[in-house]
Parts: sequence; C-alpha cells; structure tokens
Amino acid sequence: MKKFLLPVIAFLIAALPAHADDSLYQALGEKAGIQAIVQRTADLAFVDPRTAEQFKNSKKDRLVGLVTDQICELAGGPCTYKGLNMKKAHIKLGITQHEFNAFAECLTQAMNEAGVPYRSQNKLLAILAPMARDTIER
Amino acid sequence: MTSDWKPAFLIAGLLAAASQPATADDLFGSGKLLATPGVIQAEGAGGAGLAAWATISGYGTDREIGANAHYTLVALDDFTFQSAGVTVGLFDRVELSFAKQWFDTGSAGGRLGLGDGFNFNQDVVGAKVRLFGDAVYDQDTWMPQVAAGIMYKKADKGDIVRYVGAKDDDGVDFYVAATKILLNESLVLSAGARLTEANHFGLVGFGGPNGDHSLQFEGSAVYLVDEGWLIGADYRTKPDNLAFAEEGNAWAAYGVWMPNKHISVTLGYADLGPIALQGRQNGLYLSLQTGF
Repeated sequence: MKKFLLPVIAFLIAALPAHADDSLYQALGEKAGIQAIVQRTADLAFVDPRTAEQFKNSKKDRLVGLVTDQICELAGGPCTYKGLNMKKAHIKLGITQHEFNAFAECLTQAMNEAGVPYRSQNKLLAILAPMARDTIER
Repeated sequence: MTSDWKPAFLIAGLLAAASQPATADDLFGSGKLLATPGVIQAEGAGGAGLAAWATISGYGTDREIGANAHYTLVALDDFTFQSAGVTVGLFDRVELSFAKQWFDTGSAGGRLGLGDGFNFNQDVVGAKVRLFGDAVYDQDTWMPQVAAGIMYKKADKGDIVRYVGAKDDDGVDFYVAATKILLNESLVLSAGARLTEANHFGLVGFGGPNGDHSLQFEGSAVYLVDEGWLIGADYRTKPDNLAFAEEGNAWAAYGVWMPNKHISVTLGYADLGPIALQGRQNGLYLSLQTGF
C-alpha cells in the first residue's frame, strides 16, 4: 500500500496549484508587501500578552527577514527560505494552540491593515495552518 | 460543613478565572480562530442551522474550555419552534449540551383537537467526542475532522405522542459527522449520518407504525464571505414513522454574523417539511448565541 501511495502523494504535492502561479504572492503585495505585513505581525506579536513571552529571546529583525522569505516562497514568489525547518525552529518552546492561533490573529490584523482581500488571507492561512503540527507542543 | 462550601468556592474561582483578560495560560482563553467552531445547531450541538458538525463547540483549544448559551426561534407558517440551552466544549475533544425545546402549535393545535396554543416540548441532552482529524490545521490533506455523538431526547407529552402513534416519549440519536474547513476555498463542508427514530426531531415522540430507528443524512455547506460573515445552507433527511401524517426532509439557508468570539447571530429561512397535516412549514430561522 505504502509503495503505491507515496508516489501518488508526491505527485499530488508536486501538482499543487500554489506552486504553479503567483497570484497569492501578488495579492500580498509582492516581496515589499509581505515584508511590511510580517514586520507589522512581529510588532504586534512581540507585545501581545498571549505571545510576547514566546518572543522574548527572539531577534525581531532576523525573524522578520526569515518569515518574509518563507511566506514569499510559499506564496509562489521568487524567494528562498534559508531558516531551520519548522520542527527544529520551534523545538522545546512549548508553543500552545492558543499561542499559535494568537500569532495567526496578529498576522490577520496585519493583512487587514495592509488591505489584503479576505479570500487571499484565507489562502495564506491555508498554507500556514499545517505548520501547527511541527510548531505546537502536544 | 466545609465540603458544602467547596462547590461555591469552585464556582467563584471559575467565574474569577473567566473574567480575567485572556492569556495563553487561561483555561477560558478562547484560543480558537474566529468562526472555526461553527455555531450551535437546532438541538444544541456544535454545528450550524439544522446539522451537527464534527467541530467541538466553543472557542476552547486543546488546553481550554469553551461554552455557549443559545436561543433559537423558528417561526413557521402554523407553528413556532423555540430552543434554549447551554453547550460546553472540553479541551477541543468532548462536547456536552443541554437544550430545552418548545413547539407551539398555535391555532393549528385547535384544528388538531389539541387545543389552541398546545405545546409539544422536549429536553435534549447531547454528548460528542472528536475522534480524529483537525478541521483547521489539516489544510494540506483531505482528511476531515470526524466526531461521533449521541443525543438523548425526552418529549414531555407522553400520552399525546403515543396517541398519535409514537412508540415512545424518549429516544436516542446516534450520529457521526465529518467536517472540513477548506480555507483555500473559504468553504466549510460537513456531512453526517444519524441513526434516529425521532419524529419531528423528537417533539412528536419516537418510532411509530411505519418504523423505528433509520439512518438519516445531514449536511452543511458554508461560505466564509468576510471576517465574521458567513452564509450557508443545510439539508437534513428525517424518518417518516407516523401513520397519521407524512413527515418530510428539512433544509435551511442563513447568514451568520459574528463580530467577535463571544456573540453570533444567525438569520435565515427554514423549511421543515410537512408537519401534522398542516402542509409544508417554512419560515424565519433566528439563532442568538453568546459564549467564549
């Protein structure tokens, strides 16, 4: 069964439309727009009482640079994320669902302020949501 | 004496905790994302409109508790249905609900020989457990969130419901629901199978000359229009156990406004099918909900 499923899954992942077009990248305002959204998200999350504790040892500028590249790449833009994988980057932080979602809400607020259409916001959240698996401590 | 005071202290503690500002460690922190738990459906379960979903009601995450109170009104051509109750979600795993329902026959009660304004009432006690899948986080797979639930229903007019042919004035519904939030499409899809013998949701008793438990369908399609704004529709099949009058399937279409995680208003239109020889019954569907 696994021998059959793996190539099928690999094909499906390769065929995902997100990799085929850059409409989400455009909707987020390209690299400059993404950079501004991520900067605003970080500004909010670093002081939000729900998430501030998790960021108290983070370097904001470095984080903004990494996440900008990551979202740019995932949205179909011409960037390459060079940071750790999500599991390694969040190991032993004890991040809860509540904190993960609070960060998503900071991102949503930043996208609202940047005028990103609601449907595009959901498309980005759809890409980021599965990161919960490697980010949240069970 | 001391043991008598413990519950009071516990309740006072819970209230104090609930009134604290939200922090990550808060048991009542409402950590789920807006709209993702759905609302409360007609029988008090987490879902929408007429359909129970696999989502666990309330905004509690896997380390939190959520709860909601609801009032629902369905103003039909000849009848008025009302429901009020409380639904609690525990650690995004278990949901417990209690709803009291009133079905006012209005002047149709007189025509049916029951008396004007005769009320069929019932209590619904529900429990649901999330089995597997996560409707929000599993965006990269087709796996839905799946839950199994049970509803114990007790109708209050035992003599009357048996007189019109129902076998019992209480009964149990078993259901399995699969719910998928497709964020990429801004859609929520849910489908469920329910083993039930309830006549008109149980208000007119359980079972009858035409049968007892049968497998029925319920499902919803909801479009996420904008932050805090949803539109959706449900379809639900029902048994047809009574001989004196045909019972048919039901549907509803509605819009939901949820300005924050603590309030929702569902306003729409419901068609509950023919009821008690009075023809198809349609009308306004209104549900108000508050909680965390």
